[in-house]
Amino acid sequence: MNRIHLNIPSDLLFERVVRASAAELGTTMGFSDERIEDLKLAVSEAVTNAIEHGSNGGRNSVEVIFALDHDKLEVDIIDRGSGVEAFNAERRVVEEDNLDSGMLRGFGMYLISELVDQYEIQSTSEGTSLKLRIFRPTTEE
Amino acid sequence: MSDVNTAIQREEWGDVVILRIQSNSVDAISAAHIEQACSEMKPITVLDFSDVAFINSAGISVLLKFVVAARKNGFKVFCIHVSPHHQKIFKMVEMTRFMPIIEEQDLAAYTAAGSSHQPTAA
Repeated sequence: MNRIHLNIPSDLLFERVVRASAAELGTTMGFSDERIEDLKLAVSEAVTNAIEHGSNGGRNSVEVIFALDHDKLEVDIIDRGSGVEAFNAERRVVEEDNLDSGMLRGFGMYLISELVDQYEIQSTSEGTSLKLRIFRPTTEE
Repeated sequence: MSDVNTAIQREEWGDVVILRIQSNSVDAISAAHIEQACSEMKPITVLDFSDVAFINSAGISVLLKFVVAARKNGFKVFCIHVSPHHQKIFKMVEMTRFMPIIEEQDLAAYTAAGSSHQPTAA
């Protein structure tokens, strides 16, 4: 298994660096263009969450580990924030009420849950770790 | 830090305005620049995504601000040149209910005819 470690400052500009890395690794893994777009968006959402909610006001960096296996790509996104009580990956769509009340965010976990093959979350008072997993296409696909 | 490369190119025909998003990424970094164009809307506002390669949920949020601004003013917002991947994402969050996707020919017919009729959503 090959591993790539990134440690980015808690600045959303560097989310783009992780996203670009994910795209390159998706290409290396032989993912289709559409699957690479799914990967980029899922990674973007996870890193954005880690920066916005786990960086303690920008003091903590965010760690991203890409692990390339023969059959899958795993991406761990780790922050050192104070943890999150619950993640809501339920289907979230744009609603009239949300527009009227200005609640225009909150799609991230739903998108992640739909775009990757598997995901796992661990959150404690010392930080949150989100693992995304996308399998390499088989030759029949 | 900010995305200094983000800009909106504007074209107008009567009550129609096309706002061409000139950013590769519609995300948290470019959001503030894109949001400024919310104040430049017309009764029919078309967001052109020709140059947009990436949109995340922070980007969706700023796009929804156009919808909110349009609703307050009785305007309508459409989008055009949306990639198949972004069409999939828009449908997942049911954004197209509020920002329908139109085709090039709809826009051409509409801008040629002025604002006497509305584009047909794809």
